[in-house]
Amino acid sequence: MSPSQTTPGASADAFTREVIRNKLLAIAGEMGIVLARTSMSPIVYEVLDFACGITDAQAQVIAQDNGLCLFTGTFTPQVESILQRHPAETMRPGDIFMTNGPYGGGTHTADVALVMPIFAGERLIAFGISVTHWTEIGGKVLGSLSPDSTEIFQEGLQFPQLKLYRAGEINTELIELIRENVRLPQMSLGDLSAGVAAVRIAGERLGGIVARYGLAATLATFGAILDHGEAIARDALGRIPPGVYEAEEIIDGDGITEDPIPVRVRVEITPERLIADFTGSSPQVRGPINCARGALMSACKTLFKAITAPDAPSNEGLFRPLEVIAPEGTVFTAVRPAATGWYYESSAFATELIWKALAPLLPERLSAGSYVSLCAYYIGGTRPNGDYWVQATPQDGGWGAGSDIDGESGLIATTDGDTYNYPAEVIEHAFPLAMERNALNVEAGGGAGRRRGGFGTIREFRVLNPTGGFLLASIGRSVQRPWGVAGGHEGTSNFYEVVRGDGEVVRGGRVTGLPLAAGDLVRVVTGNGGGWGNPRDREAELVLADLRDGYIIAEIAREIYGSDESQETL
Amino acid sequence: MSGAIRVAVDIGGTFTDVVAFDETTGRVWAAKASTTPANFADGVLDALRAGEVEAAAIASFVHGSTVVINAITQRCGVKTALLTTAGFRDVLEIGRGNRPDMYNLKYHKPRPFVPRHLRFEVAERVGADGAVWTPLALNDLEAIAVSCHEAGVEALAICFLHAYAHPEHEQQAAAFLRGRLPGIAVCASSEITREWREFERSSTVVLNAYVQPILNGYLSDLEARLRADGVSAPLFAMLSNGGVATFAASRQTPIAMVESGPVAGITGAALIGGFIDDPNIISLDIGGTTAKCSLIEGGEVKITTDYRMEASPRSSGYPLKVPVVDIVEIGAGGGSIAWFDAGGALKVGPLSAGADPGPACYGRGGVEPTVTDALLITGVLNPDYFLGGRLAVDVELARRAYAPLAARLGVSIAAAAAGVIRVVNEQTIDALKLISVRRGYDPRDFTLVASGGGGPTHAAALMAELGVRRVVIPPFPGAFSAWGMLLTEPRVDRVQTRVLPLASTPPAELERLFAAAETEAIAALTAQGFGAETIPPPRRGLDMRYQGQEHTVEVPVTGSEDLASETLTRAFHERHRQRYTFALDDTPVEIVNIRVTATADMARPTLGTPNAPGNGDPLKGSRLVSFEDQSLPTPIYDRALLPAGFTGAGPAIVEEPSTTTVVHAGQRFAVDALGNLIISAGTERL
Repeated sequence: MSPSQTTPGASADAFTREVIRNKLLAIAGEMGIVLARTSMSPIVYEVLDFACGITDAQAQVIAQDNGLCLFTGTFTPQVESILQRHPAETMRPGDIFMTNGPYGGGTHTADVALVMPIFAGERLIAFGISVTHWTEIGGKVLGSLSPDSTEIFQEGLQFPQLKLYRAGEINTELIELIRENVRLPQMSLGDLSAGVAAVRIAGERLGGIVARYGLAATLATFGAILDHGEAIARDALGRIPPGVYEAEEIIDGDGITEDPIPVRVRVEITPERLIADFTGSSPQVRGPINCARGALMSACKTLFKAITAPDAPSNEGLFRPLEVIAPEGTVFTAVRPAATGWYYESSAFATELIWKALAPLLPERLSAGSYVSLCAYYIGGTRPNGDYWVQATPQDGGWGAGSDIDGESGLIATTDGDTYNYPAEVIEHAFPLAMERNALNVEAGGGAGRRRGGFGTIREFRVLNPTGGFLLASIGRSVQRPWGVAGGHEGTSNFYEVVRGDGEVVRGGRVTGLPLAAGDLVRVVTGNGGGWGNPRDREAELVLADLRDGYIIAEIAREIYGSDESQETL
Repeated sequence: MSGAIRVAVDIGGTFTDVVAFDETTGRVWAAKASTTPANFADGVLDALRAGEVEAAAIASFVHGSTVVINAITQRCGVKTALLTTAGFRDVLEIGRGNRPDMYNLKYHKPRPFVPRHLRFEVAERVGADGAVWTPLALNDLEAIAVSCHEAGVEALAICFLHAYAHPEHEQQAAAFLRGRLPGIAVCASSEITREWREFERSSTVVLNAYVQPILNGYLSDLEARLRADGVSAPLFAMLSNGGVATFAASRQTPIAMVESGPVAGITGAALIGGFIDDPNIISLDIGGTTAKCSLIEGGEVKITTDYRMEASPRSSGYPLKVPVVDIVEIGAGGGSIAWFDAGGALKVGPLSAGADPGPACYGRGGVEPTVTDALLITGVLNPDYFLGGRLAVDVELARRAYAPLAARLGVSIAAAAAGVIRVVNEQTIDALKLISVRRGYDPRDFTLVASGGGGPTHAAALMAELGVRRVVIPPFPGAFSAWGMLLTEPRVDRVQTRVLPLASTPPAELERLFAAAETEAIAALTAQGFGAETIPPPRRGLDMRYQGQEHTVEVPVTGSEDLASETLTRAFHERHRQRYTFALDDTPVEIVNIRVTATADMARPTLGTPNAPGNGDPLKGSRLVSFEDQSLPTPIYDRALLPAGFTGAGPAIVEEPSTTTVVHAGQRFAVDALGNLIISAGTERL
């Protein structure tokens, strides 16, 4: 035991490596705390729609703190895109770059990445990166993401690897440009400040590590982290039966038409690699549900991590055994100027395809099909005094059953993560809405099995704004239903409904600018997950318990689960 | 009040500690007995006997217990039902829908404590502004009461929307149901918390109801037995907010006792701060499986209502909106195990050998290398003086446990042990930074108070990197929670959500809201028998945020002259800048919560008279201790024999039955008038 004595520059022993590794994770965590707490957008602070981390000088992720799975794999392509336009030797301490959108390694225009090169003396050693979802970045609709966009130009500002800070000096003209081109400048610029604060913390803290342990030990630890990630992933991969597994899916419409969009994957597993080949998936579509390669990689990395090292911190080494094949110009690899505002509606299906192909092989890690779609929607409008308001939120839904456990109910989709739904009490303070119901979607049935799927949710909002408002939604899986496994039944689909004052009901999945009148009721219903195993094999006492709790009705107990006792108890 | 002895009894996982203070002689002493989970009251009485505390001489009795937290973690509360606003009975099950364990595609939320068939709805609805949209359908409650009765429900929780600000419907429903369901614990959310967010409030009131009959029974039993033994003193329960309440008052809100033990240690650290004249304290308590850290600024322990029971990176836990001292806990204690993950990286904790089988050196079947084993191998701990010699340990078993780890790393067993200690120290430093640097505090402005069996052993090693002014090892570090309880005061915290734009809220309106909250808080104290004259003006605070933001920053408000919106806005910007490095000077500011803390002056013991040290040479001997890169002959002192004013230089080890204090080479230590061991960097004069 010694009060912190280390020889600077000494190569890193196992103990020093562990110490530095922990400190790097602590930095990523601290960046996240700073970002979430200082952000001005509800979508960032409640939904945790952000990610932070550190890459090495070659853009390899060393430490990452995610609010969402969506960002699992975009850091490396985003930092690479900056390095392409601004070679390392041109970077100076105090520079901060910004990039957004699908064609800079990212996701959609609203996710803005800030990247700060970090130096040890003169030497570039790392990058701090933060990605934040801005509630508003301009474009054709409030909130920037219109489900009927057909070109990226309709989706707000693009920041093609711009220099926001030049050697510590802010580019005020860029700030003015943003201020004039977004609808909620206070919020957007608040998010910008939060992102800057996060990457600066990374610079400060990493500097502290180098000062304390020396550059050699720090860089050696970077290398060790990547190698360690790879070792963990290979160890796990070696335990999955090698072979070729395939799956197909349908994405329900692109927001312009309801035409089904077929997608497919061929997964090859060897002891050293997992190769996901999406060849044969639909070409890119007109509507904004396309994703580009950065988001596709993120989707594949999410599933890869879930089946190999769910508990391990994310770093690029972990993903070395992952290979993704997809030709240019598919719905997963869209090219300019395709719109990608609602990209997670396709990227979620990339995750889903590999999941579906491998679920029967990996029952300890994977469940039956879930409600998949983020089911995001915006209810907004203009107050009588002229102020904009918009309530933007994804909705939690039903997850599939595991081989050994009923599916979870009311859980946010895979693309998200530690994302919180909004309390009625907070919504009603902030927006001219009344939440009339927040309930499990037990009425829909579905998802029967020896282990049954979890339940989606039903949320109802009454529009109180005297001048009404609009609904904008991109709710997928509104036709196709979550898949069951081993005889488990399919789950149910997602949808929105608007109940008009005269009783008329409008129902659908994706919609742009549906006008709402004061007094209209917006109901968003998420589906129930798929079941696992034959429902007739479900234990009688579990069927009775479900009946008593109102999760199923007597008819289902009798006809689908074959329960004889249900009648007597009722 | 018949006597002059104040006692505090703290039930821990293994031992029940008692610390007593004799007001006439100034003597402070401690004793312990085994904790008796079958009936905790047995252990309490055993401890009093072990401490030879005469029942009739007891002037006051303060009690911290794990009864509440145990009933929850072991799921042995009562059958509980929940009544909600129509349309919202599933909120308890849906929760916030989040997946903290993001890559676990089979994530499951913590199970609700009330199954769906016992979650009832009633027609009623109040808007955010208090407007009644739907009157309470009192008539429908009759059928619900019948259902509860038939189902054998023993507790009923009520949570209606917006009841944090407009509790009338909850109050009406509770009154009705209490009348219909005698003998059943009926709890309304507004009686426990006045903060918004319906899931969090539901979770809070459900857990309160779930444990209320259990705690009630326990306190009644304990009280009866203490009275039968001849204790006539008033009885107080330790609360998670760092204060105490009478047994009678704590029965209604048992959930307010959820973390009473650990919290008392932090209150104790704050009191040490008062004694050494340093109001800025970082408290570190290292036990067998975890280390707990907390920051005290300006003599005030930090209170949060964001506590989540059983939360972890793998689980969202159960939110409890009750005031709890803000503690950061990490899985690094004496029993923490060193291991290699699948990728071959070395880890320490959070897996722990616990008390059973315990570290390998205990010889109870543990074979994994733990931190305690490392401390034994390096010579930091004395094998012949474990728990004052009451526990025999075997160094050879510890070395055997470390052999595979050393072999894999290609280092000596001693080096492996020293390395593991270093890793654990660094993890602790990261946790301490989380509560200080990361929240905008400079540790150089703080003193580290270290307690628990492990705190004194590790603290001095953390000093340099953390940069704290000094380390203080308080008296009775092994029973520090009980020591802290001795000195706490009756305390009530009220947090009331009121969302108001600051600029357009007149000071008179704020004054009115504060006054209302203060009246409630003071009434809660006078109801416990504390005279109004003993209650100083309550402390005030506001949780504020920039409009559009979610998270709030607490700003203390010193007096009514401060309520002008310009003053408050300035104070908020300043706090925001301190915590987050920037302020948005042009953005409107919003008030979210009104906070009031009321305390009652209970005649508290005046410490400061040191116990006379025993007779004999405090220098017990010397042994070779391996520090990270060298082994040094190290003098060993007996703490009980160190007189006030004693000074020494590191390396040194100070032993006492409950812990071992390490002083490193280059550091100095001294004993102050209270008996604190004060360690400082050698460069600084003591």
